[in-house]
Amino acid sequence: MSILLDEGQQAIATECRRVLEARSDKARLLGLLEQVGACDAVFRDTAVEQGWTALAIAEEHGGLGLGLIELGLVAQAAGGVIAGAPFLTVGYGAARVLAEAGAAEVQAAWLPRLASGAATATVAFAEGNAPLPPRPTTTFAGGRLTGVKEGVVAGLAADIAVVWAMSAGEPALVLVELSAATRNPVDGFDNSRLYADLAFADVPAMLLAQGEAARALALDVLGRMAVVTAHEQTGGAEALLTIARDYAVTRKAFGQPIGAFQSVKHRIAELYGLVEIARANCIHAAALADAPQGTAAFLIAAADARISATEAYDTAARDCVQIHGGIGVTWEQGLHLHMRRARSLAIEQGNLLFWEDLLVDQLTGEAA
Amino acid sequence: MSDYEAFRARARAWLQSVAGEFGREARRGLGVEQDLALGRRYLAARFDAGFAGINWPTEMGGQGLTHIEKVIFDTEEMGFGMPTAYFGISLGMPVPILMRFCEDKAFVRERVLKALRGEEIWCQLFSEPAGGSDLAGLRTRAEVDGNGWKLNGQKVWTSWAQYCDYGVIVARTDPTVPKHKGLTYYWVDMKAPGVEVRPIKLAGGDSHVNEVFFDDVRLEDSQRMSPVGGGFAVAMATLMIERYVATDSGGFGPHLDLFVDLARDVEVNGRPAIEDGRIRSQIARNHAMRAGLESITTRAMLMMQAGMEPGPEGSLNKLVAVRSRQKLSELAIDLQGNAGLAFDPHASQKENWTASWLNAPTGRIAGGADEMLLNTIAERILGLPQDHRPDKGVPFNQIPA
Repeated sequence: MSILLDEGQQAIATECRRVLEARSDKARLLGLLEQVGACDAVFRDTAVEQGWTALAIAEEHGGLGLGLIELGLVAQAAGGVIAGAPFLTVGYGAARVLAEAGAAEVQAAWLPRLASGAATATVAFAEGNAPLPPRPTTTFAGGRLTGVKEGVVAGLAADIAVVWAMSAGEPALVLVELSAATRNPVDGFDNSRLYADLAFADVPAMLLAQGEAARALALDVLGRMAVVTAHEQTGGAEALLTIARDYAVTRKAFGQPIGAFQSVKHRIAELYGLVEIARANCIHAAALADAPQGTAAFLIAAADARISATEAYDTAARDCVQIHGGIGVTWEQGLHLHMRRARSLAIEQGNLLFWEDLLVDQLTGEAA
Repeated sequence: MSDYEAFRARARAWLQSVAGEFGREARRGLGVEQDLALGRRYLAARFDAGFAGINWPTEMGGQGLTHIEKVIFDTEEMGFGMPTAYFGISLGMPVPILMRFCEDKAFVRERVLKALRGEEIWCQLFSEPAGGSDLAGLRTRAEVDGNGWKLNGQKVWTSWAQYCDYGVIVARTDPTVPKHKGLTYYWVDMKAPGVEVRPIKLAGGDSHVNEVFFDDVRLEDSQRMSPVGGGFAVAMATLMIERYVATDSGGFGPHLDLFVDLARDVEVNGRPAIEDGRIRSQIARNHAMRAGLESITTRAMLMMQAGMEPGPEGSLNKLVAVRSRQKLSELAIDLQGNAGLAFDPHASQKENWTASWLNAPTGRIAGGADEMLLNTIAERILGLPQDHRPDKGVPFNQIPA
C-alpha cells in the first residue's frame, strides 16, 4: 500500500474539485433544506456524467475498477461543496456487497446499472440507535422480508437496498427491491440526504449472505462506507477552515483584522490540526482497505478516520460559525448547511459511540 | 528490500546488540552522573559502529547519508531508551550550526568529533528571564573590548549547561536599534572565567535546566558566528536546522498500550475499567489522534524518499501529542484512585503515568510553547496576521520595561 497519491489520483482530486466548485450553488442547496424528497439533481447528474457512480465497480460490470482511495478523493471534493453524496457512499456499499456475495445473475442485473447511474442503491443496516445491531428485528424467511428500517439515507429514491436482517436465528444480508417497500419520508434537518423510514411488510427479498459470513461482510462494508464518509467530512471541515481563515483576514474589529486576535487565530490553527489529522487517517484507512494487513487493521484505521473526521467537521462547523459572529447564524449566509451536514454525516454509517467501541474492541482483541 | 529498509535493519541489529549494555534496563536505578557516563560510552560506541552524525559530512566524522537515514536511526534508537538525552541539544542544534557558521574549520572539526563521541557537550544559550518566547527581547549584552568582546548578563532554562563544555549564545550588541537588529551570535567556552552555572530544580524533581550567569566573560572576535547585528538570523537558523526529526505520537510519554493495560488491570464499579464508556472513549480518541500524527509522519518520510518536500503538517506533532499526553496521564492517575498517590521520582516518563504527568508541562513549554506553535501555524501556514506588537520598530532601549 502507499499513502502517497499517484498522478492519476491527484488528477481525480483536482478535476473533481474543479467540476464541483463550478456547479455549486448555495441558493440551490438552501432551497433543498425546505423540501422533503428532493436531492441535489445537479450533483447527481454530475456524478453520473463524471463516472463517479462507476468508479469503484469492477470493469467486468461496467465500472472503472478503481478503489477506495479514488472514491475517497471524490467524496472529499463533494464534502467541500456540501454536495449530496448519499448515492456515492451507500451506492458503493451496496455494490460492494453484491460484488462479494451476489450470485452472477444478481450482479449482472444490478452492477452495470448502478455503474451507469440507471439505478441507485442504498444500505439499511441500522435499527434504532444501533448502526449494526447484533440481532436485528427485521426478519427474512421464506424469501420474504418483514420489518422497519429507520432513517435510511437515500431511502426515498433508491431502487434497491441491502438490508441487515435476521434469518433462521442468524444475522443475514438480503437484497430487496424498494418498489415493494413503503417509504415514509423523514422531514429532517438535512433533507437532501433523502432519509426515509423503510417498512417491509412480507415483501420479496433475496438472501445474499448469512451467519458469520454476513457479519464479516457487513462490518467490512460499513467500515468502507465510514471511510468514504470520513473523506466527505474532511472535505467539509477543510472548506470551513478556508472560510474561517478568509473571513478572519478581511473582517475588521477594534481597528485590526479579527484574525490578529489570538482567540480567533488560535481557534483557526486548531482547526488546521484537526483537518490534517483527519486527512492523514482517511488516506491511511483507504489505502488499508484491500491491503494484506487484514480486517482488524483496516477496521482500526477506519475507526480512526471516522472518529477524527467527525471531530474535525463538527468542531469546524461550530468554530467557523462562532468566528463569523451574527452573520454566521443567518439563513442566507449558509454556514448552517455545513453545520447540518456535519451532524447528518456524523450519524450516517455509525455514530461516534459505535466507532469508539469498535476501535477499543479491536485494540483489545474482543472482536466486535 | 529498499536501501532505507536495509539501513533500518542494520541499525536495529546494532542497537539490539548493545541494548543490554546501554538500554533502558541497564540504566534503571542509575544516578544522573552514572547515567551521563554511560551515555558518553554509548556515544563512543555509536561513533565506532558508524552510526554517529548520520547526515553530516564524512570529513567531519559523519556518515555522509541523508536526513532520511538520520530519522530512521533516531526512530529506531528511541525504542531502546538509550542514554542520549544529554547530547540531544548539543548534536541537534549548536554543533550543526557551528559547522555551518564558524570559519575556523580545524577548530570545528575537533569540536565536532569530540561532540559526536560524547566527550564534549554543547548547550544553547538563548532564553533569558526577560525573554523566552520573545527571544529578541533578550538583555544579555556583548560590548566591544579591545579586539574582542565582553559578555555580561544571564541566561535561563539552559538544558544540561552544568555538563557542557561549550555553548552558542545570542547577545545584544546595540540597544539603540529595534530589538531584532541589535543582536550578535557567538560561541562561548563554558569553562571560561566569569561563567557560572546554577541548576534549577524543576517541578518533577530533576535539575536538567540551569541559570547561566556571565560576568565580564571575555570573547575573542573569532568566536563571533554572525555579522555584528546579524545574530537573530543565525538564531532562527539554529531553531530551524532540523526540520524533520524523529517524532513520537505519544508526546514522549507512555505508549497507549500501557493505558489499555492499566484499564484492564483496574476496576470501576466492580467491572474492568476497559468496559467503562468514559475510559473507552478516551482510548479511542487518543488512538485516532496518535494514528493521524503517525500517518502524517509516515507520509512525510515517503515524500522525502520520493524526493518531494513534505507538507507543513509535521509541525503539529509536538503541539497535539504533548498536551494530549498530559490529559491522558491525569486520567491514568485518576483510574488508580488512592493507589495513584504514590510516586517514584526516578520513574521514567515514558513508562510511568505520574512521571509523565508531572513532566508534561515542561514539554508544552520547552522548544516552543503551545501558544507560539499555534501562532506559527496561523501565521506561516494559514497566512493569518501577526499579533499586535507594540515594540515593533522601536529601538530596544526605548521599549517600556
